[in-house]
Formats: sequence, C-alpha cells, structure tokens
Amino acid sequence: MIPDEIALNELERDALVEIVNIGVGRAAANLRKMIGDQVLLSVPSIEVVSRQRAARLIGERELAGLVAVRQDFTGPFSGRALLIFPETNSLELVRAVTGGALGVDEVLEMEEEALAETGNVILNSCLATMANMLKRSLSMTIPEVLRGDGATLFEVDFASEKQGLVLFLYIDFSVRNHNIRGYIAMLMDLPSLATLKELLDEFIARVVGDDG
Amino acid sequence: MAERRAADDQLRAVLAAAGASGSWDWDIAADRLFVDTRFADLYGLDARNLADGLPTSAFFGAIHPEDRPRIRIAVAGLLAGAELFSKEFRLVLPSGETIWVHGRGQSHLNASDEPVRFTGLLVDVTERKRTEERLRIAQSAGGIGTFEYSDGFATVSVSQEFCRLLGLHPAERLPVRTINSVLVDGSAQLIPEGTDAAAPKALEGDFLIRRRDDGAERWIARRGEVVREGSGPGYRLLGAIYDVSDAKRTQAQMQALNETLELRVAEALAEKKAYADVIESSPAAVTVLGPGYEILAINRANIDAFEGAFGKRPEVGANFLALFDDLPEHRAQQQAIWTRALAGETFVTVEEFGDRALARRWYEMRFSPLLDRDGLQIGASSTSYDITDRMLAEAQLEQAEDALRQAQKMEAVGQLTGGIAHDFNNLLTIIIGSIDTALRRLEPDADPRLRRSLDNAVTGAERAAALTHRLLAFSRRQALNPRILDVPRLLLGMSDLLSRTITEAIAVAIDVPDDLWQIEADPNQLENAILNLAVNARDAMPAGGQLTIAARSVALDEAAAPDDVEAGEYVAISVADTGVGMDAEMLAKVFDPFFTTKEVGKGTGLGLSMVYGFARQSGGHVTVSSEPGRGTTATILLPRAAADAAVEPVQNQERVALGRADETVLVVEDDDDVRAYTVGALRELNYRTIEAHDGLSALRLLERQDQPITLLLTDVVMPAMSGPELAAAAIELQPGLKILYTSGYTRDTIMQDGRLEAGVELLPKPFTFKTLASKVREVLDQ
Repeated sequence: MIPDEIALNELERDALVEIVNIGVGRAAANLRKMIGDQVLLSVPSIEVVSRQRAARLIGERELAGLVAVRQDFTGPFSGRALLIFPETNSLELVRAVTGGALGVDEVLEMEEEALAETGNVILNSCLATMANMLKRSLSMTIPEVLRGDGATLFEVDFASEKQGLVLFLYIDFSVRNHNIRGYIAMLMDLPSLATLKELLDEFIARVVGDDG
Repeated sequence: MAERRAADDQLRAVLAAAGASGSWDWDIAADRLFVDTRFADLYGLDARNLADGLPTSAFFGAIHPEDRPRIRIAVAGLLAGAELFSKEFRLVLPSGETIWVHGRGQSHLNASDEPVRFTGLLVDVTERKRTEERLRIAQSAGGIGTFEYSDGFATVSVSQEFCRLLGLHPAERLPVRTINSVLVDGSAQLIPEGTDAAAPKALEGDFLIRRRDDGAERWIARRGEVVREGSGPGYRLLGAIYDVSDAKRTQAQMQALNETLELRVAEALAEKKAYADVIESSPAAVTVLGPGYEILAINRANIDAFEGAFGKRPEVGANFLALFDDLPEHRAQQQAIWTRALAGETFVTVEEFGDRALARRWYEMRFSPLLDRDGLQIGASSTSYDITDRMLAEAQLEQAEDALRQAQKMEAVGQLTGGIAHDFNNLLTIIIGSIDTALRRLEPDADPRLRRSLDNAVTGAERAAALTHRLLAFSRRQALNPRILDVPRLLLGMSDLLSRTITEAIAVAIDVPDDLWQIEADPNQLENAILNLAVNARDAMPAGGQLTIAARSVALDEAAAPDDVEAGEYVAISVADTGVGMDAEMLAKVFDPFFTTKEVGKGTGLGLSMVYGFARQSGGHVTVSSEPGRGTTATILLPRAAADAAVEPVQNQERVALGRADETVLVVEDDDDVRAYTVGALRELNYRTIEAHDGLSALRLLERQDQPITLLLTDVVMPAMSGPELAAAAIELQPGLKILYTSGYTRDTIMQDGRLEAGVELLPKPFTFKTLASKVREVLDQ
C-alpha cells in the first residue's frame, strides 16, 4: 500500500516526531502567548496513509463538520499543510485567542481571520522548524480557511485510481477550559515524501554520526 | 560561579534523596557536561574529575546502543529549540546490568530565545517499566483497556487495548466525543462530555457499544475511580474498560434459564398436582403408611370404601392398625400384610375385608415400599382395587364353564348311546323276533316251563329295549312322533297303569281342569315321563303319602319363565309327593345321567334325565323343587299346541293285521339276521316279499319288478346309500310308492328338530311281530 521508498523506519519516524515535536512546541509556546492559558501538548503520532484512510481516520474521530486552515508549501519537498479543527471548536478557539473580550457578533465577524492567524502560527512553527532542522528552506502561501468533511479536506477523489498520500500528524492540543483539539496533516505526493525521507536520513546521520 | 556550584551540589543531594538516580547539566555554550556522582556511578565515570566537566558526548556513553540514536535525535531537537526532553531509554551499567531510566530535561533559553543550558534528571524506572510491561501484557491478555481523563480537557489518555475494545484506531489520546460516539444509546456517556459536566459519583457501569471497525455490538464494562484534585471542583477519572458481552450473554442465558426454570418448576408442580388429583379422584384405594403404621396419605376413594366397610373415616396421622382395635381379626390381617410391606417387600395379594354386618368386599392390593431421595425406606404404599364384582363374574364364568362341560359330557354320552343303540336294537329285534316266532310256533300242549322261559326271555329283551330307549331319550336322540294331545284324557288313560305301579299306601290324586289347553307331544313318551316321575315319587314315600298329578294352563312372561325357557303359553304337568325331599346339593344333580338316590340295583338313574331330555326335545322344560322333609314336586312344561285341533285317538290294536298276496313289500336291510327275521315275519303275515341288502340292489329290483311293489320297508342307517337316499330315488322311479323306515337310531337323517319329518313313517327297532304287522298295515291303509 505504502511504497517502500517512502515508508519510514523506526528511527526516521523518531526523527520526524522529534522535529515536529520541536515545531509543535514552538507553536504551543506561541499559542500560549496568544491565549494566556495552559496548552496541553501530546506527543504526536505520525502515519503515512492514503487520502481515503486519512479521511476515514479523521471521520472516525470527528463526527461533526470540520474546519481547516490550509497553507501550501514549496521547496525540496512540496505539499499542502492542514490544521484541522472540529467546526464546533472554531469559535471556541477564536474566543480563546481573543481572550473572551469580544461579543458574539464580533467573534463571528472575526472568526475567519482569527482562524487563519492561529493556523498560520501553528503551521508556520511546524513547517519552519522542520525546514530548519532539515537544513532546507520552504516557502509558504498565505493561510486559507476551508470547511467540509474529511473527504473534502483531503481532496479524496473516489473516481480516481491515483492515490495521493498524507503525512498525518495527530497533535492533540487540548487547551485548558476550552474544548479544543486539532490535527495537522500534510498532503504530499510520492516524490516529496521520498525527498522528506532522504532529508530525515541526512538529519539522523548528522545527529547520530558514526555512533549509531 | 563556585557559589552556584555549591547550590547545585545541594540541589543534587536533595534530588538524590528524592529518588533521582542522577542529574546532569549540559552547558551548551561551553559544550561541557557536568554530572553528579550518582550519574557518574551509573555511567561508570571517574567521580574525581567531575568538577571539571566532561565532553558532552559522554552523555550518550552508557546508553544502550539500540536506544542511542533515538536519544541523540531527541537531544538534537532540544539543542535546536525544543523546550522539553522526556525520554525513556536503557543504560548499560558498569556491572553489565541493563536498567531503564527516564531522562527528563529542559532547555534554558537566553534573552534571545536561544538554548544555553540543558539540565535534567535520570530516574531509575526499571521497576516501573516492568510494571508497565506487566500492565501492558495484562491489558492485552485480559482485554482490559485503561483511560485517564482530566476534567475540562477534550481528550482522554487511553491505552491501545482501550482503542481496540472500542474498534478505534490505536492512539494515545482520543477525543471524548470520539469515545462516546461508539455508544449505541447516547444517554449515558463513557466519558463526561462538555465543560459543565459534573463529576460522576462512580465509574461502575455497563455500556452497549457498536465497535467502529467491524460494527459489532458489544457490551463494555467501565470500572475505576474518580480522583478529586485538591479542594477544587476539578477531578480526574482513572479507569478501565473491558468487554463483558460474553458475560452479558451468559447472564441473559442464565436469566432465560432461570425464567424457564420457574416455568419448569411451575410445570412440575402442575404435574405433581395433576398426579395428586388423579390419585385423590382415583377409584383405586390408595394408602401410604409410615414405619409406625401411621397414615401418611389416604385418598378419598379409600376413605369412602373404609367407611362403607367399617363405618369409620380414617384420617391422615391416625394409626392405621388402631382403626381395627375392635376387630381383632382384621387387625391381625392388616398387620400381617402391612408388616410385609413395611419390611420393603413388593407384592400383590387378594384380601377380603369388611365387617360381616356391613358389606364384605374382595380387594386386590399392590404393596410397594416408599423410598426417600437417598433410597431409604420411609414407609409403604398400597393401591387396592375392589375386585368383588370381578370375583362374582369369575364365579359365574366358572358356573357357565361347568354347564358347558356338562353339556359336552351329555353330548358325548348321547353320541355313544346312539352308536350303541343302533346295533343293540338290531340285536334285540332279532332276539325278540325269534322268541316271538318260537312262541307263536309253540304247541299248545308244550311244556309250560318252556313257554315261561320264552316269556322271561321276551321280558328281558323288552327291558333291554326300554333301557336303550331311555338312553336315547335322555340324550334327546329318540325319534318323537308328536300329536295333538288332550292331557286330561291321557292322564285318565294312565290311571290303570298308575294304580298297578303305585302301592296302596299311597293316595293318588289327579287334579286337571277340563279347559286345559291342548299340547303337541309324543303321547307314548309323555306317558313314559309321567310314569317315571310317579315311580320316583313312590320311591320317595316308602312309608306312604300323597301323590298328586296336576295339570294347569300357564302363560309365562319373561320374568316368570325359568332359564332356557322362552316366554309363552304352556301346560304344566306336575307330579308332587309328600316324601323325604332333597337338599339343594342333590337337587342340583337330579338331571345328571346315572344320578340316583336309590340303592344300587334299584334304578338306572336315567329316569329324570330321560324326562328332561323329552321335555327339552319337545320345546318345554322340567323343574324340580324340593326341600328335605317337605316332599318333591316335578313339573313338566310343554308348549301349548299352535291351534286346537281334533285329537287323534291313541290306537291300541290288539288284533294282528294281516296282509294280502297282491301287496308286495321290498325289504332293504344291511343286517342279514334282521332282514331274514323281517322277511319271515312279513311272509307269515301273508305279504309277498322281496329283499335287498343295500340301496343299489333295491333300486335294481325296483327297475325290473315283475309284480308292482307296494311298500318299501327300509333301514335308515346303511352304508353307501342311506334309507332316505334310497327312498328319494325309489319315489323317482315309482311315484306314489309307500315308504316305511325302520331304525334303532336315526341319527337325525329323517328328523327335524327331534321330530320325524312330515309324512315320514318310522318303525322303531326293536319291533315285534305285532308292532311290525300293525305299522305296515297302517302305512298301506293310508
């Protein structure tokens, strides 16, 4: 199902988790600064899955509609990064970010902007950290807010035989006293994933050296 | 700087006391690693040079080679900006032992957010790791998933088994909503949802879920604890879940079983009640006694029967034997059979019970021991049936069988008699005929002793003939020749005979009304019967008495008619004496052949049985009533004649009727001597006679007769062709031919219902010269 050239071994997975962890840590720190409340970070799990499976994974977890912040990235490896929340969480997130100072009308008015900004902070932290750690640079588009179910977000084309792959990072960032949780997903094609794997190997060689 | 080191040393001491296995301080800027003595011990470092620091690569020195790359990556992350270091890895100690440690560290940032120091503690978690390992194995082996939830968070920390149980993709954290979404019924939540949710009081609960992966419905049990955090409203839920579907199913089955058990118990009770009802309403008498003869159970039929027999109603709990205290005989009888039963014997017995003053009944009683659950005897039961009716029926059957045997005996005797009579009468015919001839040829001046001797011979032969006749009569095989009779006239005609037979000490009275109905019977046989009864009466009155012969017209309805007699009109002729009488035992045998009350040699014992045979053969009956000392009355019932008719006079011809020379008689007889005698006698009577020894010869003579044959005198029973067969063929050859049969025993060939067929003439053997002459003349003159 997943081609060998992109399947991650244990160490590569550890390395990727570590790198993303750094990114998420930075994002959490930034978020903490924005919200001013405790943000709980889970150690993310990482999976490379098909788009259908990704859609099913998220559908299994989230029953209501979803809202996502999307940013495309280009560089040695290119793709599309998604920060996904349950739709019901989005206003909560906006309220958390805006510190509860706004009225309902204002929150609704600001929702898109607040989501885009929050998403930008988190996705940027992650992607920038990854690029930095892998000693490469990535350029990113401006954030965009999407709504829909997993299939919509992962652009599942049921008619097509061609299966895009998803680097699925489950990051549970529960915010104390706000029911917020989310996911980061990176949609990448095969060559990009192969490149990512190569870069991870470089990183490992660098860090572990001849010791490993 | 030294001050800070001192403070650090102090901190390390505190940490060591707190259980930390070692601490480190990684100076990123100086690229030196400072460790405490415990860290050095674990790593096998020289404790004396610690103050100067170590190359940072020393951090990885003791780490298990398999874990080292992972830790290098993590440290690289931290050095690159990650805030926290939290890793578990293995250390290989100088002793060679491998332990698990948890390294927990933190980066210290400078003002520009760049990491400058990386400090942390190593804690020996080998025990915990083992415990965790055990827990993991326990969870997967036991199918127990664990979860931890902190109030206010949207996610729950779960174990892999937890995810597996709910059919969810394995993860370490799951959204509360995801977990609750597997519930089939959403009213109760596995994990409280929403910020306002109050702390649950307890975690005990069972939940029906639909597994997300295969859609199977399963029952999940949740157990655990609610942990309060401080004094605030916050709480944590620590719990476990496991699949209880099988238990639920088993429980449901048990419940179903339980329900059906109740049903089965109810059925069994109903069955038991049905049994009890059946026994209670059974016509059989059921008794159950305990070892001390106390009544444990007794059914209604038994109580009623007991009351009928003894006038008491027994009750449960009473002593059964005590019920018979005033009946010692019964008490002994009951005790005897119940002692056997209580000793464990199973048996069947027939007993007669009951107060003699009340009803005595026969019972068939079946006894069996009463056992408890363990097979120990705790009493005995009896089931009794009143078989009195059956016993009576059996007695009646026995009587009927006796009667049948008697009838069969009579039949056998009759057959024998008939056989004997046939030959015997032929012999007597020859004897009587020959003596008759001799007497007629005797010169008038012959020796008177010779004549007396011949007379004696005739008397003896006639007595022999009479005996044969009686034998045939009682076996109802005599040939009757019934006529319409006027009984008063017949009795009047007998008075001479009676007065000669009955001694003078006996007064004879004849009591007959004039308007008596006529009967149809053989007059000679009726006279014989009456004479027989009169002789019996005479013999019953050796000292004299009164003999009364009476006749009455009686109409018998069904009720009045004796057994074997049809209702109808009869003439009853009774012969009563005032003699010694008979008891019931004798009375029952009076009709048996050869039964006699007379001394040996004085009677044949055939008298009454001959009368009985005659009466039955004539469609009537004989009854005898008697009591010792009160005399005996014998009554002959004979059916009334179908219509009153002219009474035929009883002929009593003394003169010998002769024949004429133009009258030819064809004599057919297979017995040569009889034939010779018959032919001789007929010729002496002036008839022209031709003879044949069998039917075929006779027919040949008939075909070529020189002179017309007037009469065919034929024996009835002959080999090859019988008398009637010959007669039929002869009539065909010569219509109008007169036929006279002669026979000692006809074997029913010319009789119907014991009477001669209409138009049939019979000369019974033995016949005399006179009876032959008169019968031939009678037939020829018709």
